[in-house]
Amino acid sequence: MAHLTVAVSEATFIRSFDLLKRNFVFQDSDLQDHGVFTLGYDVKMHLEGGTVDLRADNTVQIKELDIRWDRLKVIIGLDIPEICVGGGCINMPWPIPDICLPRICIFSGDPDVSISPDFASFVAQEISFTGSLDARYFDASLPLPSPDPCVPLRVVPLTTNNQWQIFLDPQTMDIDLFDFPDIVGNLIENALTSAITALIPGGWVRDLILAIIGGIADLIRAILDIPDDIDEWLSDVFNVSFGLLDFIGTLVLDFFASCNPIYRIDDPFEILPAASGLIPVRIPIRNLSVRADDLEMVVRADVGA
Amino acid sequence: MVFTDRSDLYAAVHEDGLNRVMRHIMLQRPSLFNYATPFFAQNPDLLCVPIKAAPEVFAAGNPLFTVQSPLPVLGAAQPVGLNYCVQFTDVQLDFHDSDTIKLPPELGELPPQRFALRLKGCFGLGCLPDDYYTDLIPLEELFAVAQAGKERFSFTHVAERQPRDPIVPPARRLTCFCLELFAVLHFEWGKIGTDDYLKVRLDGLEIVDLQPVEMENIIECYAEAVLRLGVLPRLSIKIEKMVLDITALLRQQGIAVGQQISLQPAPVPAAVPNNPAVEDDQLKVFVNLVVTP
Repeated sequence: MAHLTVAVSEATFIRSFDLLKRNFVFQDSDLQDHGVFTLGYDVKMHLEGGTVDLRADNTVQIKELDIRWDRLKVIIGLDIPEICVGGGCINMPWPIPDICLPRICIFSGDPDVSISPDFASFVAQEISFTGSLDARYFDASLPLPSPDPCVPLRVVPLTTNNQWQIFLDPQTMDIDLFDFPDIVGNLIENALTSAITALIPGGWVRDLILAIIGGIADLIRAILDIPDDIDEWLSDVFNVSFGLLDFIGTLVLDFFASCNPIYRIDDPFEILPAASGLIPVRIPIRNLSVRADDLEMVVRADVGA
Repeated sequence: MVFTDRSDLYAAVHEDGLNRVMRHIMLQRPSLFNYATPFFAQNPDLLCVPIKAAPEVFAAGNPLFTVQSPLPVLGAAQPVGLNYCVQFTDVQLDFHDSDTIKLPPELGELPPQRFALRLKGCFGLGCLPDDYYTDLIPLEELFAVAQAGKERFSFTHVAERQPRDPIVPPARRLTCFCLELFAVLHFEWGKIGTDDYLKVRLDGLEIVDLQPVEMENIIECYAEAVLRLGVLPRLSIKIEKMVLDITALLRQQGIAVGQQISLQPAPVPAAVPNNPAVEDDQLKVFVNLVVTP
């Protein structure tokens, strides 16, 4: 029998997933000057929808997780060389003052012309993937491969401690770069909502009609999503990503996931912190394993001698 | 076998694992289990039981024992202290329902949902050899006569010791005896402040084969006070540290959570018959995840 056992129910996974969705926000912006051109971006996204499912074959499935863009601005600027006219003076005899022409310059700014279209309303992605849970041991004393392919992909810097690391190893993936059902559904819903709001300023009649419109938009989304659902179902059955994009996506995610564990446990693991000059008390962790079925995820480990 | 059919989270530790943890603590924090006067820092070979410690303890220059003041010689006009040591060894835990530890008859059979503790406690005292008395007696006589007639001295009342450093004659050898202590304990949930903690409570304690009975009772009385007031309150573990600190986990991933996430013990008996449960040689805890807006 294992010395230590920790189990997390599927219901807790689902609640934690919802918590993650509600609180996860990614935003970033950058602007770089490349001489004549200025290029930049200003993006903010959050997660919506999607389900998580623990499955009997030691896999975790996340289905139809929507990436919603609150801001997806691409900034393109052009720095046109400055052109100036005028500015010279005509010397006049005394007492007539000199006549100076005004100097007028155009394209003095940097950039002179800038556009920043926001594609947030027109772009939405949907991701589904299945990954198997795997526990691996990271021995910090072993040399890393040279060159290390994980260098640009690590979210958390490489540790100097030995660690047990739990990975979610992707098996299949389905990416809809342009989630047309949602884009079309959103556009229809927004257009009809605006029209109804203009016609009926308020009251329960308007609320009722808006609710019906929301239902119709959801139906349109569901109908348009049927081909993608079939694609995801086939991927799940054959355990292979269909479509070139999905296949490439699986490879990329596989590579990314193999560099980024979802959970880390230091070995030895600190149970009493250093205090008043005393060294911390650490225990060696051995035989860590992780296993999921359709009810729970179980992590087991032994305490080393 | 499903672990989480009655709670969101489940954690269990087997007695073999916990006994290994205990051994690691004893090796890496020997000062928690050994108490002695400063004299033994230079003379560790005189201790009742040699102290085993991990190489990291020596490398860091950590103390092998917690320093104690010498045992005062009562009534000495010039304070005199005796070197002594108290050492705890062979700490072992046994969760119901195996019988790794044979309890003494006074404690009976280990009841369900309880666990047994066995440890050996050794006490050593550096007795003064005769030649030390030869040197110390004239000194004490001098101090006693010097204090005679002073307001603070009388034959019916011994004045409190002056705040002078005591004379602590070095010990040449220690006279040691060891006692075996058995205890029956249980776990329970309880609040410390507003947080839930797993606490250890003492049910019974016995020191075997000590005569006269009154002396045994006095030593048991003191050991009980040390356990209840000194040791067990330090063993309380915060619930998040036991199972899974989800808030810390999300924070590590750079996600700030707006809601209050807390872990609470699954209710007894509505959800589980015992929580924490001590059974199958394991300590089991059943915990629910509570998210409040």
